[in-house]
Amino acid sequence: MKTSFFTKFEKTVGGLKFAVTIILIFSAFMVAGTFIESSGGADFANRLIYKRWPFMGIQFLMFLSILFAAFLRLPPKKRLYGFYVIHSGLILLGIGSFITWNSGVDGSIALTQNDPNRRVELNEDIISIHDMNNGTVYNKILPYRAFPTKLNDEIKGIKVKEFLPFSENKLDWKKTKQKYASASYLLFNDNMSQDFTLSLHPQAKEFQSTLKMGKLNLHFLPSALGRCFAKPSKSKLIIWNIETKTCFTPEEKKVPLKKTKKGSRFLALPTKVTGSDTIISFFPDFSPIPLDEKLQANRNSPYRILSKQLFEEKPHLFLFGNKLSYYADGAWESEDMGDGAVSLPWMGFELKLIKHTTDEIPIFVPYFTTPIQKGGKLEKGGQKAVLVEYAGEEYWVTDKAPVTLLAGDKKMMLNVGKSSFLLPFEFTLTRFKMDTNPGTMDPASYESFVRLFTPDGPSPHHIYMNNPLKHSGFTFYQASYFQDNNGGYGTVLSVNIDPGRTLKYLGSLLVILGSIWHFVIRSEFFSRRRKLAGVHV
Amino acid sequence: MKFLAFLTLFIANIAFGANTFFCNPELEALPILDGGRLKPLYVTAEDSIKFLAGKKKVDGLTRTQIYCLLSLKSLVPMKDFDISRKIEHVKVIELLGNTSLTYSQLKENSKEIRMEYFKNKDKSSYKNALEKILRQITLYNKITSGEHWQLPKNVEGKFEWMPFGSYFSEKDFNMGPELVYDILLKAKKDFISSNGDKYLFELKFLKWNLPSWALLSTALALISLVLFKKVGVGLTLSAFTFLIQIILMAGRTYISERAPVTNMYETVMFSGFGSLFLGGIIGWFLKEKIYLYLGLGYNMLTLLMMNFATGLISASISPLVPVLRDNFWLSTHVTSVVLSYGALALSWILANTTLIKKAFFTLSSKEEVYYSKIIYNCLKFGTVTLFFGIMLGGVWADYSWGRFWGWDPKETWSLIVFCIYMAILHGKYTSWIPNKVFIPLVALAFLSVMMAWFGVNYILAAGLHSYGFSQGGALFLGIFFLVQILLLVITTLKTKLFKFSN
Repeated sequence: MKTSFFTKFEKTVGGLKFAVTIILIFSAFMVAGTFIESSGGADFANRLIYKRWPFMGIQFLMFLSILFAAFLRLPPKKRLYGFYVIHSGLILLGIGSFITWNSGVDGSIALTQNDPNRRVELNEDIISIHDMNNGTVYNKILPYRAFPTKLNDEIKGIKVKEFLPFSENKLDWKKTKQKYASASYLLFNDNMSQDFTLSLHPQAKEFQSTLKMGKLNLHFLPSALGRCFAKPSKSKLIIWNIETKTCFTPEEKKVPLKKTKKGSRFLALPTKVTGSDTIISFFPDFSPIPLDEKLQANRNSPYRILSKQLFEEKPHLFLFGNKLSYYADGAWESEDMGDGAVSLPWMGFELKLIKHTTDEIPIFVPYFTTPIQKGGKLEKGGQKAVLVEYAGEEYWVTDKAPVTLLAGDKKMMLNVGKSSFLLPFEFTLTRFKMDTNPGTMDPASYESFVRLFTPDGPSPHHIYMNNPLKHSGFTFYQASYFQDNNGGYGTVLSVNIDPGRTLKYLGSLLVILGSIWHFVIRSEFFSRRRKLAGVHV
Repeated sequence: MKFLAFLTLFIANIAFGANTFFCNPELEALPILDGGRLKPLYVTAEDSIKFLAGKKKVDGLTRTQIYCLLSLKSLVPMKDFDISRKIEHVKVIELLGNTSLTYSQLKENSKEIRMEYFKNKDKSSYKNALEKILRQITLYNKITSGEHWQLPKNVEGKFEWMPFGSYFSEKDFNMGPELVYDILLKAKKDFISSNGDKYLFELKFLKWNLPSWALLSTALALISLVLFKKVGVGLTLSAFTFLIQIILMAGRTYISERAPVTNMYETVMFSGFGSLFLGGIIGWFLKEKIYLYLGLGYNMLTLLMMNFATGLISASISPLVPVLRDNFWLSTHVTSVVLSYGALALSWILANTTLIKKAFFTLSSKEEVYYSKIIYNCLKFGTVTLFFGIMLGGVWADYSWGRFWGWDPKETWSLIVFCIYMAILHGKYTSWIPNKVFIPLVALAFLSVMMAWFGVNYILAAGLHSYGFSQGGALFLGIFFLVQILLLVITTLKTKLFKFSN
């Protein structure tokens, strides 16, 4: 009689050789997963191995193997009762796990003190497009992949083109019609080197014109100001016109510097110097903004004053493209950088100009990188990025920097984040308590005192490690904590619904009982004991 | 003024003729707050000075005396007293220009060492060596600044912990070392009358040196089992070993107030104990001496680690991270997993013994069958207990973190171990794997246990089980793997060569 395909399939998949093979393949995947997690983090390992179809396929084949192995050994035999119980337990475990995977909820909610919240963040990455005109939000779930994925979706005229699940930023330069200075430098000594970019361009949102590196303060100013910095000036004052981009010292224009009765310096620029109708006065040691005749700050005036004296106490470095100025050993120094590096008077540092331009604006462009984890933290690749196209222009949206797009009177805000849902009730953190081990800063316990607001009224609850809160089918676990903007502590609770829990627990119990039955009770252990006791086996 | 007071003490001490001031070995019973825990000074001094200098005594002074004198440097000028450290790494010797330096000298070079540490961006043995020196300098600075030694002071009926550097008033020091010593003893007495003397148990416990006695007793039990035909002596010594280890674990439980399975030292200890227990029970029921041999053999290996590999596994008792503060789950999940490792270790030892016997001595096919059965029994106990432990871990994780299973490396590797042994058991069950393949496979499979137990901590160092991570150990694991694989290759080749020549 010809055996049917199903019978052959059942015999193969239910056979022990298949079982051993699939177990070993499963183990090999897991071994790879642990090493990948060690180097690239849990998210990378999940995207590459654990939550991918090949691994899930292996698990499904294991499930079939367990199921068919039991079927092949029917009708039930007494010596295999333990075996049936083990396999039934494993089947229940598998079904329970599938139910959890399919319909479970696994998210987190962050609470700061006395700030009600009901938003639970899930694990799915999304790009959200917020139409600011009518308040509508459109969400698109991003693919759960480990590597860059090309997309071809369109939402409200915005094309979603590519998703990078792990990325870093690299510096790039984009042509601009507005002429503002930007520059990149390299600061180094024998022990370290650091490159940095500064910009005066108003659209260079990711770059500033000032930077603090340890104790060194860096200031990027227009090139024209460099000339005035280099000029010797008894008053150490520079007056700068932000419209004409010109500067002069009081000595150059023969403007006298006077002192008030209290010894504060002030000067008044006469109209012939400024070309304006009114006298412009400054108290240079207090404010760069001029005062009008009523001694009120006149922000509309194009003039500003800079007192070099204010920058003589701490290390300040002024950069003007390829020129620089600093105060050292009782005097102001100005230097031309040229093509080489300039020695600075602090900690053996040298500075080299990499690029200076007024035609381009610096931007960060994300690029994909395999994540690197060290000490439990992602050192590289911790940024998610999505490439979108709108009105013929491409933009990168990252989870660290939302983007606002303007086209005519349309305003859209794009954000990369996590999907979320709202709880049917509100939570507030009333108090976060962290006990430390005596004499140390190591946490001994962290506890959240929360208030739940339900239709039945508010109720207080206490959540801490190994003491979760169960409510309305949700379970809330103490996951971690953080410091909020006010210096206090906020809490992060893990939010969970596990519909497969009962089956998993029951399955586990059956496997253990079945193992004891099959391996131990029926084993040589007891048959030998019976033999030794003179009991016929 | 304070300096004059200290100078008075200094001169008084010279006149007194003692260069140890009040730093008597008896101070070891003083209570100290260290590492988040109340303990006797002896424990802190042992751990600290061992970390700094490695030696038990320096110039005839005990570690407690050295600790006291180093702390006294915060109050009294003692330039001549210092401890030194041997430099072992070749590149560090090159950097510092010497193979041994005092800590004062190391302090002077600390800026250079720190710059060198940050200059080397990639992980290397050189960077690790520099990091260790920096940590030692930090500890040395803390002790010599008087900040490390925290003493109890009665402040309006309540005890507060104060650093040694600010504990004494000028009046106290003006009185001389004998009276300073009396102040310290009074502080201890007052503390005990308010809080009890439970902390002193740790001092007695450590001085009993139970791991050394257990090792000696195990060795004697093994020797007597080999030498004597009757098992009486061996059994008695095994029972004695068992008793010592029960006291050892009970002592640690009493001190730490939790099950003794929370760090590598304790899991090694418990697995050795567990395998001795299993070997004893199974051997007793089946009237088979061999199980006891295996239990004693593995227990001896673990005791050797506990006594001599203290750089790899530290015996220190530290407070637990919040998630582990649940005695029920610690006592069930962790003990089950560690016990299973013990049972699987029995199979590993017998597998290797069988392979060596077959390759270099004689092993009849009857013996091979017999040993295979014993290995099979050990595997059964091991896998059932392991699965039990894995499932308990899943329930605990569900309870603490909100998920039954999360592919965390520690969890995943325990499942890998289970799967590998299940594959072997399935293959053996149907005789698909014959004994000549089964035995080497069992020996090889134990590498997965070592990976799950040590490898996740020392090599992977990732995941939610981060509280179990340790420094170093990759070398130990590497050597273990190499030796096991070499043994398999050699015994396999020898057996094949022997067959070929016959």
